[in-house]
Amino acid sequence: MVFTLPREGTTKWLAKLTEAGEVIAPVRGPCGDVIFSTLRSPAQVVWDFENPLHPPKQFVLPQTDPLVKIKLNGERHEAEPLYDDAPRTLFNVRSCDVAGIAFLTRMHEAEPADASYLRRAHNLTIISLACNTPCPPGFCTCTDSGPFLSGGYDLQLTNLGGSFLVEVGSEKGEAAMAKAPDLFRKANENEVTQRKALEVAAKARFGPETCHFASAMRRISTGRVPDALWEKMGDWCLECGGCNFVCPTCYCFSVKDLRQNGTWVRCRTWDSCQYAAFTLEASGHNPRAQHKERMKRRFFHKVSAQYYARDGMVGCVGCGRCIKTCLGTTHMPAVVAAIRKGKWHE
Amino acid sequence: MLPVPTTCPFCACGCGFYLLANNGGLVGVAPSETHPVSMGRLCARGWSAHEAALWGNRLEQPLVNRNGKLESVSWDDALGHVAGHIKELIDAGKSVGVLGSARATNEENYLAGKLARAGFQTNNLDFSYRSICGPLLKGLEEVCGECTPSISLNDIKTSQTILLIEGDLADTHPRAASVVMAAVEKGTHLVTITHTATQMSRLASLLLPATPGNEGEVIDGLLAAVVQLGLEDQASVRVRCEGYDALRRDLATVKTTAETRQAAEWIARATRATFLIPPVSGEGPPSRREAAALATLAAVTGHLGRPGSGLLPLLARSNVRGACDMGIAPDRLPGYRPLDDRESQQRLRGLWGKNLPSTLGLDAESILQSVSALIVLADDPPSVLPMGQRAMAALGIIEFLVVLDAFLTPTAQIAHVVLPIASFAETEGTITSMEGRVQRLHVATDPPGEARPGWQVLAELCARFDVGGSYNSATDVLREVGCASQPYARASEVEDKWGGIGMAKASNGGKFRLFAAEAPPLTPAEGQHVLVRDGDFDWGRDPLVAFSPTLSRDYQSQCKLFSNGFVELCKQDADGVGVHPGRPVRLTSVHGEAVVPARVRTDLKPGVLLVPYAFRDHLANVLGTHSVTAVKVEQA
Repeated sequence: MVFTLPREGTTKWLAKLTEAGEVIAPVRGPCGDVIFSTLRSPAQVVWDFENPLHPPKQFVLPQTDPLVKIKLNGERHEAEPLYDDAPRTLFNVRSCDVAGIAFLTRMHEAEPADASYLRRAHNLTIISLACNTPCPPGFCTCTDSGPFLSGGYDLQLTNLGGSFLVEVGSEKGEAAMAKAPDLFRKANENEVTQRKALEVAAKARFGPETCHFASAMRRISTGRVPDALWEKMGDWCLECGGCNFVCPTCYCFSVKDLRQNGTWVRCRTWDSCQYAAFTLEASGHNPRAQHKERMKRRFFHKVSAQYYARDGMVGCVGCGRCIKTCLGTTHMPAVVAAIRKGKWHE
Repeated sequence: MLPVPTTCPFCACGCGFYLLANNGGLVGVAPSETHPVSMGRLCARGWSAHEAALWGNRLEQPLVNRNGKLESVSWDDALGHVAGHIKELIDAGKSVGVLGSARATNEENYLAGKLARAGFQTNNLDFSYRSICGPLLKGLEEVCGECTPSISLNDIKTSQTILLIEGDLADTHPRAASVVMAAVEKGTHLVTITHTATQMSRLASLLLPATPGNEGEVIDGLLAAVVQLGLEDQASVRVRCEGYDALRRDLATVKTTAETRQAAEWIARATRATFLIPPVSGEGPPSRREAAALATLAAVTGHLGRPGSGLLPLLARSNVRGACDMGIAPDRLPGYRPLDDRESQQRLRGLWGKNLPSTLGLDAESILQSVSALIVLADDPPSVLPMGQRAMAALGIIEFLVVLDAFLTPTAQIAHVVLPIASFAETEGTITSMEGRVQRLHVATDPPGEARPGWQVLAELCARFDVGGSYNSATDVLREVGCASQPYARASEVEDKWGGIGMAKASNGGKFRLFAAEAPPLTPAEGQHVLVRDGDFDWGRDPLVAFSPTLSRDYQSQCKLFSNGFVELCKQDADGVGVHPGRPVRLTSVHGEAVVPARVRTDLKPGVLLVPYAFRDHLANVLGTHSVTAVKVEQA
């Protein structure tokens, strides 16, 4: 079903959604950045924005994620699982990020399923805002994750100017509309046509600077990327881990115990496959001691046919965040191009 | 989720980001695209900045050592005990000292300086890292008359030539390395002077190999090439440089190579050139001479005083510059003014209502070895000072040791009184980056237990020594800093500005005094090798890294595997003495000998052995007080 929400209805709807639980949306922070933050008032929401650099995956997979509380009771240790199942709504999230969360959820649903992740994800309602204008670094057309979505959302909004077209993707989406049912009316044919035209126009706006995964995938999957190329690219990476942390599909983690008021809390924390210590063994041996090996591993996981077959997509949603945050110059499109051409900076 | 904007507490690049706070705790870090330094980028340390304050072994209660055990006491008792005991010692004619810190805020450092000079009437005031960076700053001052940088990080992007004396920029200052990388990608000539094949040197257009500890020889080679090829900037040399004829004479016999001539040409012909210098040789005269020679090279090629061109000293810790600016040095007043600067003295007398001590104070190493009472603010001398564990031994016999810190450092563990202060994530205050941005820290979460902001504790101590001020906030302290030091007069405006207030760059408007490095070449006897203490800062034992589970892994693992230290050498040298990786070697120098396991590296030159700064203690016998020494290597 497709509905229409008049622009002036958004304030009331957001107020209702906020009453029901935490609403997280891109807001303009005190320093000018647009950043995902808990909404204090509907007026904070921004409608015309470039996707925040820090991805919303933190609301299903936090950078610091408490999993188990461990207490000493007399002589015995007691472990208490910690779940975060607070109802949350992610509002005005962009298409690439919806695709990213869908990717993460598929991964965490696969057996053995990750209960902690899934509780958070199942209690999250995703209301996306389709991208009428592609963001400058984005290449989501190459990864089939935007600018408009055909699934993965609970509700997808399209800005038609005076109103929003609302596409329903799930029961959670229906429930979100049901918080203020009077605001929505069935969309007419014109509005649906307008949304389709906007999608066509948005796709036509992507520049030639896209990311050609197919030929890179052929080379990387068949071991045809020379070692020397990885070595060269390794020199242009500063091992900050930023590409992993801002990537909507990266989920590698470490486990650490945090001492808190006489108890221990076992936490899952974001980790980066580009850090030397990520694979460091207790013996001191490191199977990926050299940077070229870590870089090779990262892009094999992201781009190879082996993982494409397992995950149903490349490990990239074309958001372009790694381009913005790379401290060196080895972001996804640059490395994909180098693999495809067999050369770097020449 | 609440994003709290703040300034990175690690290196001195001065990046900005958001600390993410949730239910009063820190849960992560988010980058900021609008920050003028970091521009959406962070290094590995920045991305884990929340961890130290969250996971750190935090001090929560004031502690007093009673019968060898640290016991909790009330704030009033602790402060009363500190003030009472120090007064007794001063009355008894004993010497006291204060160590500020490159990890503390400007406000904390300023009050520590005020406490020492006005409260204790002593210039025994320093911070540990100054013993490393002091000679570098001194060298620049000798040539330029000032040691502040003449360019910012963003200026590097527009340079046609970058001369980098390479420590390991990618590791020490990732943001600076990132800017250099971006410039090189666009075609800038990068020239590195290095003894090891580091990441940045692999990106260089030209690599000028140096003998460890003798980087000055290469700089002299560049100077000689400039002079011999007539590449000087005539206007700069004729009008602004003093000692050029003598320099020419000194360099007349210095040999040049095709590489130095090419590099000299790139430097001289560049409209904009960047000169990046870390405290290469650690401490002492070689570092000072190299810095002076580099500044001389910049001066004779006309790159000093030219917009967008100039020198940027690479300082390791976030607030090294701020600590210097607050006058945390035995011979400097706030504003880094000399101790005998009349105007500063007069201003401080008016502000503090006390006469200032006129006797020159002791530096950090000497302070540890001679005072009866010492206040240490957020510093851990054994991990920072080149003397390493010998600093611990010196601290151990101080009659009254007081430590203000957020973390239980080794120094805090042996203190007589420990005063818990807020970490960078829990206090207001400012820090000054190496390029001169005065930027704010913001409170993202409450300090644990009874810990208080450091400026409050120091203000209280000042009051107990009758040099109090009426401070209701860190900004009030910063206002007083602005009165004490003219360059900080506008600093309290920093409040509303993301990226902070930029201090004036060095104008380089005066005359330059020219020097060649004239480093005495280190000539090991035949068959001998050179042992180098590598790096100038031990991040592994810095509490912000040591208590961050993500960042401490490499170092912890090295410590476990090599509890007795190690030395690194190339395969050729290992084969030469018949030692297998992990097996012990005996190193002998004129200072002494040591037996440590050997680690084989692929990026070292034959004849060069490295000991990482963090593991220097295990080779202290061999190094003596030097950072480079000739050694004999044998199978043990």
